Amino acid sequence: MQPFTFSTGTLRPESFREALCDPAAGGYASFEGWVRDHNDGRRVRRLEYEAFEALAIKEGSRIVQQAIEKFGISRAACVHRVGDLAVGELAVWVGASAAHRQEAFAACRYIIDEVKHCVPIWKKEHYEDGDSGWVNCERCAEAADGRPHEGGVPHSHDGPRGATAPHLPQDYSRQVALPEVGQAGQARIRNASILVIGAGGLGAPALQYLAAAGVGRIGIVDGDGVEASNLHRQPIFGVADIGRPKAVAAADRLRDLNRDVRCEAIVADATAENIDALVGGYDVILECTDNLRAKFLVNDAVVRAGRPAFFASVYQYEGQLQAYLPRADWPCLRCVWPETPGDGMVGNCAEAGVLGPVPGTLGALQAMQALQFILGLGPEPARGLVVVDLLSLSTRSIRAARRAGCDHEVPAKHRASTQEPLEVSFASLAEARAAGFELVDIREAWERRFDRPAERIELHLPMSELLEGRIAFPERGRYLIVCAHGVRSLAIAERLRHQGRADVYSMRGGLAAL
Amino acid sequence: MTRTVHVQYFAALREQAGRSAETCETSAATPRDLYSDLRQRHGLALPEALLRVAINEEFCDWERPLADGDRVVFIPPVAGG
Repeated sequence: MQPFTFSTGTLRPESFREALCDPAAGGYASFEGWVRDHNDGRRVRRLEYEAFEALAIKEGSRIVQQAIEKFGISRAACVHRVGDLAVGELAVWVGASAAHRQEAFAACRYIIDEVKHCVPIWKKEHYEDGDSGWVNCERCAEAADGRPHEGGVPHSHDGPRGATAPHLPQDYSRQVALPEVGQAGQARIRNASILVIGAGGLGAPALQYLAAAGVGRIGIVDGDGVEASNLHRQPIFGVADIGRPKAVAAADRLRDLNRDVRCEAIVADATAENIDALVGGYDVILECTDNLRAKFLVNDAVVRAGRPAFFASVYQYEGQLQAYLPRADWPCLRCVWPETPGDGMVGNCAEAGVLGPVPGTLGALQAMQALQFILGLGPEPARGLVVVDLLSLSTRSIRAARRAGCDHEVPAKHRASTQEPLEVSFASLAEARAAGFELVDIREAWERRFDRPAERIELHLPMSELLEGRIAFPERGRYLIVCAHGVRSLAIAERLRHQGRADVYSMRGGLAAL
Repeated sequence: MTRTVHVQYFAALREQAGRSAETCETSAATPRDLYSDLRQRHGLALPEALLRVAINEEFCDWERPLADGDRVVFIPPVAGG
C-alpha cells in the first residue's frame, strides 16, 4: 500500500487495515475523519475536497515516512478523499501498526495532525442556505485566528490568498546545506518557539529571519499601532499597514513569508501582570522593545522562568547586545546596570533619532544569536555587553560577571514593586490636587518658563538635581510626579518605588496630556 | 603622578563629548576622578550613577586604581529599538 493516496470513491477502511498487518506488530490504531453537518455555526449540507495532488502525495508520503521513523512503528498509511462528499462520509483515514499501542496511537495522531497542517488540500463547504465557501486549510485557519492568547485580537484572512494559494513546501535547502545545520538542525529550528517582544526596528528583521528560517512557533508582543514614522526602520510594514496593530500586521507578513510558522499576535504591551505567562510559553525570548522599563521587566521574567534571552537596543549609530543564559554564573541585565536607569534619562529613537539599518543590523544579530543557540553552534555568547558601532563597523565586547547581591537573586522583590499602578491620569492639575496628591514638577528650570497659570506647580525638584543627589525627594507624603510627557516622571517614580517608596505616582502623559 | 589612558565614549556621552575617543594625560587615580575631570572639561550631562565604566574590556567599579595605558570606556545604557 502506498503511504499516502487520494481516492475519489468511498473509503473502505477494512481493506486498508489488512495492508498494515505485520507479524511484528502487536496492535493497530486508526483515525477516521468524517464530514459533519455544521461548521462555525452554519449547517453544512455537503463538502468538496480539492487537492494539489502531485505535491500533496509527495508531502503526505513524507509525513507517513517520518512517523514510521520517529515512532519506530511497523507500518502506516493515510488515504484522503477528494471530490464531493455527503454528511457522514469518511473524508480521511489514517492507520498505524506497531509492536506496542503507545507508538501506534502516537504515530496515528502525528500523521493526521501533520496532514491537516501541511498537505495542500482545500475544503469547500456547501451550506443549507445554498451559500458555499472555501474553508482555509487548518494551518491558515489556525494561524489566522483560533489560538486564545492574552490581549490578542480576533483576526481572519480577508482575501482569497490564504484560502486558495497552494502550500508549496518551504525550501530550506540553502540553510540545510550548512554542515552544522542539516536536517537535524532544521528539525531543531522547527521544534523551537520564540517570543519576540517589540515589533519595531529590532523586531522587524528578527521576526522575518526567524520566520523565514522555519521556527515552528513565533509570538509577537506589541501593543502599538503602525505609524508613518516607523516605516523607515521597520520595513516589515507597508504604507497600507499604518494604523493597524503592529503585532497583527507583522504576523500577516510572516504568514506570507512562511506558512510553516505558527504566528501568535499578542496586541498588548509587556506588563508586570502578563510577562510571566508570556515568557513561560516559549523556549527563547528576544527583547526588542525601545524602553528600559520593558527591558528590565523582561530581564526579571527570564531570570524567574529560566529562559535564554537576547537583548538589544540602539542609540543613533550604535547598538548594545546582551545575552542571558539561565545558568547560575551568568550575568543578567541588572548585574550590568545595578542602578536600574529609567527611561527619559537616556535617549530613545523618538528623541535621539536613528538610522534604519542600525536597529536593522542589531535585530538581525538577535535572530542570529537565537538560531545559533537553538542549533547549539559555538562559541557561546559573550557574558556582558557587546557594543556595535555602525559608523566605524567596530564591535567591542565588555565582559561582566554575575554581581553578588544582584536583584535577580530575589526577583520577587522587583516584581512586588511594580504591581501597584505607577501611573495615574488626570484631566487637570486641580483634579489631581482634589484627589489628595501633592504635585511635584521635575522638569528643568528652562522648561517652566512658558507655563500657563493652570500648569504651575509650586514644588519644583529638577530631575537633574535629584539624580545627582543635590536635592532630595520629600520623605513623607503622597506625591504625583509631573514632567512634560510623562516619561521622566515615570522613571523617577519607578526609581523611588525601587528604593521602597510606595506612595509616589507619575502623571500619565505629563503636562502635554492636560 | 600622571598616567596616560585611552578613553572611549558611547551613545549620549559621545554626543556630549563631541568625540568617540581620546587619549588623556591624567592625575586621576580612579575612573571616578577621571570622569569627574572629563565631565567638567566636556560639559557631560550624565551623572556617573547612570553610567558603567569598563577598563580593558571588563566592567569594573569606580574605585579601581587606574594604570598607565588603561583603556577606559564610559558607557550609558541605551534603550532605542
